[in-house]
Amino acid sequence: MCAQVAGLVEQFEAEASRAGAVVYEASSAEDACNYILKLAQERDVKTAVKSKSRVADEVKVKKHLEKAGIEVKETDLKEWIGQLAGEKLTGRETMWQVEKLISKATGKKLDPDPRVLLNAANGAIKQYCIDADMGISEADVAIAETGTLVIVGNEGVTRLVAVLPRIHVTIVNCQNVVPIMEDVIAALKSLRGNIAGQVMPVYVTYITGRNTTADIPGAVLARSQGPAEEHIILMKAAKRGSA
Amino acid sequence: MSRAMTKRVHKALTDENLQTALTRLLGLIKFVRQIAFAGLDFDSLSHEIRRIKENSIANLPQLVEQFKLQATKAGAVVYEAEDAEDAVKYVLKLAQERKVKYIVKSKSMLGEEIELREHLHKAGIGVTETDIGEWIVQLAGERPAHLVGPAIHKTIEQVAELISKATGRELGTDPQALLDAARRALRQTYIDADMGISGANIAIAETGTLVVVTNEGNGCMATTLPPVYVAVVGYEKIVSSWRDAAAIFRLLSRCTAGMKMPVYVSHITGPSRTDAIPGAVLRGAGGPGEVHIVLVDNGRWQMRESDEFREALYCIKCGTCLNVCPVFASVAGQVYGYVYQGGIGAILTAFLHDVDKAEEVASLCLGCMACKEACPTRIDIPRMITRLRASLAEEKGLPWLNRMVYRSILKHQPRLDKVIRIGSYLQQPFVDADLMIRRLPGPLNTLTQAISLPALARSPLRDMLKDYSSPRLTDKSRVAFYSGCVANYAYPEIGGYVMKVLAKCGAQPYYPTGQACCGAPAYFAGDVDTALSLAKTNIAALEEMKPDYIVTVCPGCAAMLQREYLNLTTAEPRWNQRARVLAGRIRDFSQLLLELTPSMPKKPSRNQKVTYHDPCHLKRGTGVFNEPRQLLQREGFEVIEMADSDACCGFGGHVVLSYPELSKSILKRKLDNIEATGVETVITNCLPCVLQLRGGLDKRHSRIKVMHSAELLASTFEITQ
Repeated sequence: MCAQVAGLVEQFEAEASRAGAVVYEASSAEDACNYILKLAQERDVKTAVKSKSRVADEVKVKKHLEKAGIEVKETDLKEWIGQLAGEKLTGRETMWQVEKLISKATGKKLDPDPRVLLNAANGAIKQYCIDADMGISEADVAIAETGTLVIVGNEGVTRLVAVLPRIHVTIVNCQNVVPIMEDVIAALKSLRGNIAGQVMPVYVTYITGRNTTADIPGAVLARSQGPAEEHIILMKAAKRGSA
Repeated sequence: MSRAMTKRVHKALTDENLQTALTRLLGLIKFVRQIAFAGLDFDSLSHEIRRIKENSIANLPQLVEQFKLQATKAGAVVYEAEDAEDAVKYVLKLAQERKVKYIVKSKSMLGEEIELREHLHKAGIGVTETDIGEWIVQLAGERPAHLVGPAIHKTIEQVAELISKATGRELGTDPQALLDAARRALRQTYIDADMGISGANIAIAETGTLVVVTNEGNGCMATTLPPVYVAVVGYEKIVSSWRDAAAIFRLLSRCTAGMKMPVYVSHITGPSRTDAIPGAVLRGAGGPGEVHIVLVDNGRWQMRESDEFREALYCIKCGTCLNVCPVFASVAGQVYGYVYQGGIGAILTAFLHDVDKAEEVASLCLGCMACKEACPTRIDIPRMITRLRASLAEEKGLPWLNRMVYRSILKHQPRLDKVIRIGSYLQQPFVDADLMIRRLPGPLNTLTQAISLPALARSPLRDMLKDYSSPRLTDKSRVAFYSGCVANYAYPEIGGYVMKVLAKCGAQPYYPTGQACCGAPAYFAGDVDTALSLAKTNIAALEEMKPDYIVTVCPGCAAMLQREYLNLTTAEPRWNQRARVLAGRIRDFSQLLLELTPSMPKKPSRNQKVTYHDPCHLKRGTGVFNEPRQLLQREGFEVIEMADSDACCGFGGHVVLSYPELSKSILKRKLDNIEATGVETVITNCLPCVLQLRGGLDKRHSRIKVMHSAELLASTFEITQ
């Protein structure tokens, strides 16, 4: 890690911690997985929901948690269908194959109509998010200036995973920490994964620290309407960055 | 002033819960604000934001087109609403077409402005506010008391009762338990809702993106969980780029809540989508399938046309002006009676709502300029309030009594002298031995409710200084003394000290007899004609002997002479030129003394501690802050700083006359801060402040003396009357 990145990471850590997040620097994939598992076990987590995350997949978080008996649901639609199929999607699946998978998962015989299938999937996935104890996201960009995570996605669940469960864990690649807010737009433009014709992903959510409220008289209380805990795992060793 | 407003002010001032909570909240905001701005150059940041907003509003027509194009490309539906009714109609129709029964709403000032919730309710659609504070206020059927803490006026018992009733469970007063109950109740509302509505803090033209900021997370849920999402957005929220937006939030949250960044900032570009289902790209993937953006005019384009009021559109709704407003600190937001509060609220109310309401809001302004100093987009709110009053007076005419006073008395100095002389006889039964008036008969007694008044002088300063009417021809600096009415009629002795101290310091002071009232009372009430006539009288009187300097003891008068005369005479270039020359000669007493005697050595310590109160118009109006302190220190006094030395004493505007109870509450904080220093003398270079502070301390039976610098210095120079 070059000195410039190290300085940014240090600043990011200081600001995020000050805003109430718990920051952990993971030295390896195993280290990251162990941190998440330990956290899940200490907080009595039974189910977790996961956004699409290349880094999390690389370090095999899902497997690690499942081995310990914690249920992990993919919430990105493609990933979820893949999870139902038991394998990564090839992109050559037919609607009938998808219809079978979703019908089976929801326990209803669905028409092979894309809209019907999407509605059923939405219902199921939203419910996972509502029921889950832990949400796992990846931040594509992080801002050193303010200790902010930038979570990007076209599907609404990228936000639900971040706000509905009582514990939220975000994995960030150290190389993706940018100095100031003005740098975010350039970093976003270099991200791949936009659907054809899109200028910007639908949702770009900035999260800074832990949510609190002073609306109930008497004290500033932690956990307003979002999670009670924000954990950030900084992947030090990761070689590949998306930005 | 209106009776309803007086009532609301009284209610707020006597609401102990509100008072305690407000003091705590504002103290906290001030404290965290200092931390949030540490290491940042506020001046350069605010200039940047100002520039961004100026450009955005200047280029608004192009930006609107770009925003519409990009948002539509991203799949959103953009509707341009002319006014509140149009906007409401669109949302209502959409809700009915989609068979919406229940809506969750995230905080939106514009939503309040167009009374969206009320209209939807009337059509039988349920709406829940999802910010916890807003929700509590909604449950109570009230308006928010504060931008950051909408429900700060509620006690824990009241909140417990409201949440218990809403959730149908008997809850105690444990804050944590109440919060848990509120979270659970609100969580269910997002799940049940058919539609989510929010405002937008910013809209970005380059990508057609909406930016929604919340700290609680409610914004994320309300804009994501329901299948239809509607944003109501004022045109002024549109900026060009993501970079501009970033610069705005760098200040927004620091100003609002003293946080470097809001917890959640959502950028939303069109409806959610997926290509996971074979066959097509579908909208509505784990989020709404429809995004409607209602751009609302409702008076904003008209505001943009106005050279005088355009800058109100630069407001980023951060609430800083409220957090620093002495009136707001006393009564909070509910007294304003409408959505937009404080000074900026008066302007916004006038254009976006109702001019009569705006007049009421404006009547609470002290003119202390604290808002102008703190505003991150440098909006000159006090100037706009003055302009608002002037245009209201033009439109509706002044009340006959004011008109009579301004046009028949104030305008003609000899008549004013005569009226005051009559007053000085009439006052006799009420003047105590120490020349203070502590009670007055009948309705006049409201004047002595907050402060004891000084007796009117038997003969005005003008008569006392007859011998000084012209300077002798010497090579000494010629200093014309502009006294203002308070020195003239209430404290002529202080005027005498000014002359003597100046003479002792080697100047040649004189008193131009042609001078009259500066015209501020008429000008700020909206009577521009009288103000202009007085401006010409004074310009002529004060230029006559070609003084090197003009010394003032009332910064309010000085500001009038220095700035407003220039504004008043813009249509008459020759007068304008003369006003400019006048403006260059104006000095505050301390400022002038330092200028006249730059090399005078520091005197040995007198072992006397004093504190200094900064008059609003001197510090913020003309930037005189160090000079009075420097002079006091040079004369051997130790200056102990009081907390908030530059907070208004409560005399400003017409507040002292219109809302004496409010003035008293503002004065109380000032006097508490003075007493906390433990000094026996408070110095201030403003005679109206002297009047207010002396009167307030007298009511407290305090021994603390209030003096103008000239008065204190006279004693050190061994000058007597």
